[in-house]
Amino acid sequence: MKAIEILDPRVQACVKKRGFTSLSEAQQQSIPLIHDRKNIILIAPTGTGKTESAMFPVFNGLLSLPAGGGFKAIYITPLRSLNRDILSRMEWWCSELGLRVGVRHGDTPMGERRKQALSPPDLLITTPETLQALFMGKVLRKHLKGIKYVIVDEIHELAGSKRGAQLAVALERLHVYAGDFQRIGLSATVGNPEDIATYFCGARPCTIVQVPVAKHLEIEVKYVGDDFKHQTEVLAKSLMRDGSTLVFVNTRVTAEALGHALFSRGDVEVHHGSLSKEVRIDAEERFKKGEIRTLICTSSMELGIDIGRVDHVIQFGSPREVARLVQRVGRAGHRLNTISRGTIFATGFDDLLESLVIAKRAKANSLERVVPHRNAADVLANQVAAIAVEYGEIEVARIQEIIERTSLFADRDTLLTDVCRQMEEHRLIRLDGSRIITTGRARRYLASNLSMIHDERKVPIFDMVTRRTVGTLDESFVVGWVHTGAVFITKGQLWRVLEIADGKLTVEPAKKATGELPSWEGEQIPVPYSVAREAGAMRRTRAIEDYTGDKEGITFAGKFLIEMDKNRSLIPTDELITLENIDDGVVVNVCAGHKANEALGRVISILISARHGTVVGLELDAYRMLLRLPSAIRAADVRDVLLSLDPATMPGILRLALKRTALFKWKLVQIAKKFGAIDPDADYEKISIHRLLDFFDNTVVQAEAYRELLSEYMDIDTAAALVSLIREGKIQVALGPHSLIGAGGLLSSRDQIPPPTADAAVLATLKKRLDGDDILLACMNCRNWKSRTIVSRVADHPQCPKCGARLVAALKPYEEEQYAIVSREKKNTEERAVEQRLMRNANIVLSSGKKAVIALSARGVGPENASRILATLTDGDAFYREILKAERNFIQTHRYWT
Amino acid sequence: MNIEFLPGGPAAVIENDERILVIADLHFGIEADLAAHGLHFRSRSETRLERVFHTIDEADPDRLVLLGDIKHSIPSLTWQEYHELPKILGALRDKIPLVVFPGNHDIGIERFLIAGEIHPGEGAVIDGVGYLHGHMYPAPDLAGHLLVIGHHHPQISLKDEVGCALQGPAYIRAEVDCERLGLKNRPDDPITRALFFPAFNEIAGYDITRIVNDPFSPISRCMKKDGAEIILADGTYIGPLRMIEDNESD
Repeated sequence: MKAIEILDPRVQACVKKRGFTSLSEAQQQSIPLIHDRKNIILIAPTGTGKTESAMFPVFNGLLSLPAGGGFKAIYITPLRSLNRDILSRMEWWCSELGLRVGVRHGDTPMGERRKQALSPPDLLITTPETLQALFMGKVLRKHLKGIKYVIVDEIHELAGSKRGAQLAVALERLHVYAGDFQRIGLSATVGNPEDIATYFCGARPCTIVQVPVAKHLEIEVKYVGDDFKHQTEVLAKSLMRDGSTLVFVNTRVTAEALGHALFSRGDVEVHHGSLSKEVRIDAEERFKKGEIRTLICTSSMELGIDIGRVDHVIQFGSPREVARLVQRVGRAGHRLNTISRGTIFATGFDDLLESLVIAKRAKANSLERVVPHRNAADVLANQVAAIAVEYGEIEVARIQEIIERTSLFADRDTLLTDVCRQMEEHRLIRLDGSRIITTGRARRYLASNLSMIHDERKVPIFDMVTRRTVGTLDESFVVGWVHTGAVFITKGQLWRVLEIADGKLTVEPAKKATGELPSWEGEQIPVPYSVAREAGAMRRTRAIEDYTGDKEGITFAGKFLIEMDKNRSLIPTDELITLENIDDGVVVNVCAGHKANEALGRVISILISARHGTVVGLELDAYRMLLRLPSAIRAADVRDVLLSLDPATMPGILRLALKRTALFKWKLVQIAKKFGAIDPDADYEKISIHRLLDFFDNTVVQAEAYRELLSEYMDIDTAAALVSLIREGKIQVALGPHSLIGAGGLLSSRDQIPPPTADAAVLATLKKRLDGDDILLACMNCRNWKSRTIVSRVADHPQCPKCGARLVAALKPYEEEQYAIVSREKKNTEERAVEQRLMRNANIVLSSGKKAVIALSARGVGPENASRILATLTDGDAFYREILKAERNFIQTHRYWT
Repeated sequence: MNIEFLPGGPAAVIENDERILVIADLHFGIEADLAAHGLHFRSRSETRLERVFHTIDEADPDRLVLLGDIKHSIPSLTWQEYHELPKILGALRDKIPLVVFPGNHDIGIERFLIAGEIHPGEGAVIDGVGYLHGHMYPAPDLAGHLLVIGHHHPQISLKDEVGCALQGPAYIRAEVDCERLGLKNRPDDPITRALFFPAFNEIAGYDITRIVNDPFSPISRCMKKDGAEIILADGTYIGPLRMIEDNESD
């Protein structure tokens, strides 16, 4: 308790009154530093009293300040629910100390807001978005001047996101009013504390206090089989022990399914983001009071909402990231200095190996890095608009000063002017020489764009057949990609778009599995490269027992690999990439994690699509990708593409590959919205949004879409490094039969990569049309045989079955009557000309076979044109291009139009 | 009659005795309407007009037929249109004689045109070819002529085995039901066909399957689907309508 002796006796008295008998390590270390007016980042596990660490010395400071004069301390958390939680904890302290506390966020009623404007509380608890709103009103701005402390809770949640980048700018905007306030950041364990400090304080000094988490963790991995019924039985059994349990799952669907299976126990509740606030709060309360013993939850429970004592954490399925596991397990043993116990339930082969790797890394304290967004143009646009509204008009140079105090907008000299110019393009601000001037629209824009979270309109999907709504899609996705006839997946089913009108998407069920597309149901947590590589190494060494003592797990993994051996399957590892043919295409097994696979998969896909002129469908997870391909393209072709990759050219290829994909357009629409180009309630019917998006070519909007996708969604540098390993021979590439490993997983990410030029699509359509064209084969030798068929069924060298001659004319169906003329005994001049034409036709077929038949089936192509085409001696695509040329000529002539 | 396709437009030159450049659906001033629908872009009139000039230079025609919807705003003129249209039409007129078939968006356009430029909304025959915007029933004496129309903004999505590979402006050529259209089809008249022009405006586009399945004009309602054919902006023959419809039904 020594650390608090430096504080005001009133604060000390409260600490004793509240029943504190000792201070945690986090509190011991950070209280003196904060008291000493240092900026700090406190990194410590949940439940180590981080809030108190920050607030004891802040209370101390607040007591020394004169009453009145606006807000004095701002406490920012990422969630409204955390705000409520913090408020209820702060109220006691503030009332004891005679301080005033208030909360302000989206749900705060108007009356309360007005009260805060008239007489602001000393301590304001808020969200990053509501902080933005404080700059909009004259009165509130006045209250910002006296701020001495800013506390950002769960800063690791914000630092890596655009919300966080926006917050960093907001803090510097606050600096304009309040000068150097003290910054206190509270964070869960991260891999790179220094970067978080720089993110939070810029170039200012910042002390890092770190309380290690690993020594408090005890993590087991238990294999529970791949059958859901069995899994729930195992879960039910492990819930039998004493104490309370949090069960973390990765998706809402799993949460619902488990909740349903365990509902009859009566002591289980479900908690996830799709449930209403009331339902969630009720579940939290009942768990806290001990009325229920188990809460099944998604990441909604990761952050430090106080739910009382948690004795055990179960992670259902791989946690995918080390940091996530540490944070989730950290919820257990919610008392100072007790050990957090957690069990991962592994549900399959990949899942087991991955879980083992992650558990080991958690104990070794090797967590992922949190990487802040640098030079995010849409964040800048959002903040320029906010600043324009805040000041009315302002020199661009002053905005530059503000953003340069953050660490996030460095070394891009022209970014701010580019952004301003683009915003003027969309009439969000006006530029007057070196000044920007606000517009009426800017304020309206800000009202709906306070947040960098894409809180989008959801477009309902209406099934024509059953006449009911089957789900929703993100509006940006609908706008950027969906078109009439498009096929996509949602709720695990294929749908074809019939109409996009009146703000809803009318669909019908689609049958065929080709052309299936982007499922955009919640963004998946990516498995990092390092984890996927190590899981690959485990497949190679088979040293499962080095990672776990769980017998079932060791046996299962061992048997699985032996089964692979028995089937003579190749086992893809960190040192071996395998390619397998399946009906729909080719599976490429690469242990490289989601982001590297996403980059590699897209590069391979665009090269295949360019080479073969087809769309390539891509699905992938951390260990494999499925390329959906036309049946002619096989594993060996994909291998050739993979082996031909040059790491240096991959980034350029990837950019090209992205341009026309659903993912890119989706992102482009989101960013365009932040630039004020597209309103949240925009109406896109009747215009070709695809072509509208071309307006963003070579703009800062497009550049930002690339920047974000290439840094957040995929990792081209790692993919290129992987290709270098292949070239150096450190990773082998082999073809193998379809295997158990190849058949597993998938479906976590999908997209289509169209060919880079329209040419390929046109040729494909041409081939398809000609193949299906009706054609009449007619013998010009015996003149007594004709047969109607379609081009694709014609033999390479058609022959008359009656006389055996190969002098067979290939006629269009409407030329049938001409054949009747041929067999006439007596012919007039005109009829003789017809006969000659048919003879010429048959002679071409005789010499060139099926190629001649194909040419002759084209629109407006008679014997003359056909011989011209055949005389070019071209083959394949070049041959079809000659046909296209002949048709194009025909279309321009009188014959076609009359 | 010959026809030359200018994919840079999209536009086309129709030639019998005269070379007539046809441009449909320019929709100058569309930006104001986009803004009203929540899409905010600076006026692109200048670049669009440059594209028209370029197309004229490329085509070297005797006359320019503007197939309606030159301007965008209905029912009245916007500030943008008041300022831009006189200059745009003046600049075009300085280059080449204009023929205008007003469309449903062209309310109030007369004030910017000079005598002889404006033609009836229900169309007229020029050099053997019938022209009209396409939102009204065609004049009866257009029977037997090719009906060259705008209004529909056709655009095609080409799909291959795996997905959508191309989207772009396209022409539809289809026979029309003369009787239903009220055309006096004399027995000696040849078949009457319509040629649907894609929009010159760079963002106007409407999927062909929707035009066909959900027709919104007399001519699109009276077109014969069988035998309708699709041509890309550069004159590439895509084939019968079923080529794209097959994709929908499998």
